[in-house]
Amino acid sequence: MTPLAGLVRDRAASHPTAVALREKNYGVWEEVTWTEYWEQATLVAHALLALGVEPGDRVAVHSENRREWLYADIGITAVRAATVGLYPTNPAPEVYHVLHDSGSRILIAEDQEQVDKTLDAEGDLPELTHIVYLDPRGIRGRYDDPRLLSWDDFLAMGRQHRDQHPGAVDERLDATQPDDLATLVYTSGTTGPPKGAMLTQANVEFVVDVIRGREAFIDPPPNEKDLIVSYLPLCHVAERVFTTWFNAAVGSQVNFAESIDTVQQNLREIQPTIVFGVPRIWEKIVAGVQIRMSGASRLKRLMFGIGMKLSRFIGSRLVANRGKHTLVTRLAYAVGWVICFRPLRERIGLSKARYAASGAAPIAPEVLEFFMGIGLPMYEVYGMTENSAVATTNRPGRVVLGTVGEAQPNTEVRIDDTTGEILTRHAGTFAGYWRNPEATASTIDADGWLHTGDVGEWVDGTHLRITDRIKDIIITAGGKNISPSEIENSLKASPYIKEALVVGDRRKYLTALIGIELDTVGNWAQKRRIPYTTFRDLTTKPEVIALVKEAVEATNQRFANVETIKDFRLMTKELDHDAGELTATQKLKRSVVTAKFSDEIEDMYAGTKATGSAGVV
Amino acid sequence: MSMVKTRSRGLRGRPLATTSYAEDMTLLNTPAKRRSTFAIILVAFGLPFMLTDDLLLVLTLGLIASVGAIGLNLVTGYAGQVSLGHAFFIGLGAYTGAVLGGDPDGAVLGYGLPMWIWLPASGVVAALAGLLVGPIAVRLRGLYLAIVTLGLVFLGDHIFRESRDLTGGPGVGRRGPDLVVFGFDLNDTGPVLGVMLEREQRQFLFALIFLIVFAILGRNIARSGVGRAFSAVRDRDVAAAVIGVDLTRYKIMAFAMSSFFAGVAGALYFAVVGVFEPGTFGLLLSIQYLAMILIGGVATISGSIMGALFVTSLGRISGEIAHFMPFISTTAGSGGFLSVFQLEAILYGLLIIGFLIFEPRGLFGIWMRIRNYWKGWPFSY
Repeated sequence: MTPLAGLVRDRAASHPTAVALREKNYGVWEEVTWTEYWEQATLVAHALLALGVEPGDRVAVHSENRREWLYADIGITAVRAATVGLYPTNPAPEVYHVLHDSGSRILIAEDQEQVDKTLDAEGDLPELTHIVYLDPRGIRGRYDDPRLLSWDDFLAMGRQHRDQHPGAVDERLDATQPDDLATLVYTSGTTGPPKGAMLTQANVEFVVDVIRGREAFIDPPPNEKDLIVSYLPLCHVAERVFTTWFNAAVGSQVNFAESIDTVQQNLREIQPTIVFGVPRIWEKIVAGVQIRMSGASRLKRLMFGIGMKLSRFIGSRLVANRGKHTLVTRLAYAVGWVICFRPLRERIGLSKARYAASGAAPIAPEVLEFFMGIGLPMYEVYGMTENSAVATTNRPGRVVLGTVGEAQPNTEVRIDDTTGEILTRHAGTFAGYWRNPEATASTIDADGWLHTGDVGEWVDGTHLRITDRIKDIIITAGGKNISPSEIENSLKASPYIKEALVVGDRRKYLTALIGIELDTVGNWAQKRRIPYTTFRDLTTKPEVIALVKEAVEATNQRFANVETIKDFRLMTKELDHDAGELTATQKLKRSVVTAKFSDEIEDMYAGTKATGSAGVV
Repeated sequence: MSMVKTRSRGLRGRPLATTSYAEDMTLLNTPAKRRSTFAIILVAFGLPFMLTDDLLLVLTLGLIASVGAIGLNLVTGYAGQVSLGHAFFIGLGAYTGAVLGGDPDGAVLGYGLPMWIWLPASGVVAALAGLLVGPIAVRLRGLYLAIVTLGLVFLGDHIFRESRDLTGGPGVGRRGPDLVVFGFDLNDTGPVLGVMLEREQRQFLFALIFLIVFAILGRNIARSGVGRAFSAVRDRDVAAAVIGVDLTRYKIMAFAMSSFFAGVAGALYFAVVGVFEPGTFGLLLSIQYLAMILIGGVATISGSIMGALFVTSLGRISGEIAHFMPFISTTAGSGGFLSVFQLEAILYGLLIIGFLIFEPRGLFGIWMRIRNYWKGWPFSY
């Protein structure tokens, strides 16, 4: 087998001057060749050897996506240690939890902000011996913690070690075993504290094989001509697959976005050929298009209107036709291409995308339809940390909207007869939770089946449709099983709604807590000359409540009577990771949010409605 | 992290992504710009074979005036130093060219030197004069500088009138230098490199090449460190000084460069015109050049060219208008409500007022507006 670092080493030998990475600094996309990439990674590896890192040790990385993340990741696995990723948005207590739980020996932190989170930790971290920082601003000359080490000194240490022990890294790398721990991926933890999922070199190799195959993504398979923009947190398994593993497996070029706020601009510059996004990103793009369109001139709005009519027509025909074009849709597409689709896709940075995927959370079919309508080959995929993000995918020409597609190659997927839980089995199934055998035992059964915790069903016998997380299924007082996420996604398809939480477990009827999208609703309010001051103020405007009510009613039309939202309240604050309402992946923590808005929820079930209520009849 | 070298390899088909500083600063940074510039140059080289001689002469003068306008735009548009003295530098260039390249046997002074001497020399002499004016600009700003440069025009007017040996004096004038480029007489008719070219065609082609050279030069000044220093001085000279721009040096440099452009343009312009007299280099000429950059577009090279072509053809345009308006006489002093010359003057005024109020960024601004409309499609911003 070839471990991940071995793949980088091989490519540095076969394509020394080809571009591996790009990072934008001061307006210029600086290029890194494979030679430089491997050179930097080996320096990290040597430095780790110099610091006495042994096989099986954990090294944490706490940084935004940047070149050093990959140098570190490859360097760490080259010496048979495991990379532990931390979300840049993790607050200090979570950082402490992950560092403490993983027992990381070394932490590579991006800047003062991240270093502070570790230094501020309440408890002690006995196993942490060194903290390497990338950006010395605010640290050098001010902090005197003996564990601190600058990146430059760290690399210098590596250079010195390499001079003294040339070949030490190659030696360690060549001794890699398939069951070596490659990385610990901490789950986002919507329920309890994050658990570290252990992914081994064998798991990684399985994913690499999937990426290289024709069946998994696109034909021709991803290759060195493909461009990827890396912007989602690299500690998440999906972004790791699309950034680091794609890059190592097939040589696709990674382009690091400047920050999450500039993703739109960076996408437009790079025009990636392969794009992975979480539903939130895709929803935001659609909302952004709508906001900017509302400010466009009359002729442009007219043309866009025609384009959208065509796109809806094409989208619906494609959906009915499993993503295959017919003569009529091709003609409609040609017209739309001239007046709207081509420039629109260029503006949102997707003009050269030959494969776009949505995953990591359920997406509203309307959003997928929009992108398919403007000609983007977009597919919903399904996977989770515990199965190395490989489970099912929709494939070109075989798309069934609302499903997550068919099983990936060499992957077994089945649905438990009694619980309806989705089970997967393949070589990429994780080795268990780190230092947590009980949780491992309840997730992987004796036959090697991974219990995903998702409930699903088969559509047409081939495509998997996911109903919801088992834990989230609502059983109403009437005994009806309802999947809240479907309703929530339908609500979130409205550009004005950012968050939705359906309540109704053991209740007579369903209600919802809804969080508005500040950008779009604020824009809408300005257009109508509705004055407002803060987010909270905006949520109390009767016009805004009426606007949301319209969206709720539209959703209600599409569901059976028991599944309709009888009442809703607007959340008076924007949910936030720091406040513990969202996970690092921006998923809503139901228990926290429900507790925080318990007054509003009780109010909706109080029977008598308060004045100014936003009830839907 | 400094060990990552930047290479200028670029990303194909992605004009917005630049992978090196050099690529970021390229003259023609998008394929569309490369293609359209190439097309415009191609069409321009085809023009002499499509247009009549009288139209060609107007365009030839327009092309040469463009170089002068670029010069004025460097000092006024880019560096923000309002100069009403441009006519003086043009005159200086014109007379330097005429004296050095003029007929040695004529009534006025002439040395009969070849063009490769008199053309650069006319620029250098004007630039030297610019160097003398520069220090004044260091101490003065805005209106005060405008008044001082205005004084320059009157000073020049007086000198040109009085030095009869050089200029022929008012009402008489003198001939410009001979237009002979490395053996090719531009006033002759005959085959050049196998192509039959008449006098106007030769002059047009020469003026076109002349403009291309100076336009690229102007663009390079504008996009380099010098150009950015100019902009800094324009936007706020105190702030520029604080960030380390040497005001004295760059203000003098702006005047010297601008004057060089004015000098060579003046020499060539009046060589093509033929006979000219000192009264030409008055305030009106300065204002014409200011009109060129205002109508074309302040602080743009392509705007300078558009403006110069437009303003030099204004005489011709008012002539055409006169054909349709019976109350406008086509000759001076022959009665009628208006003469073409008066019409031309009125048009200047109206255009300058109109552009300042409605389109302060000039013709270039109009072009930008059209371009952005399509560039933003289907959005408006």
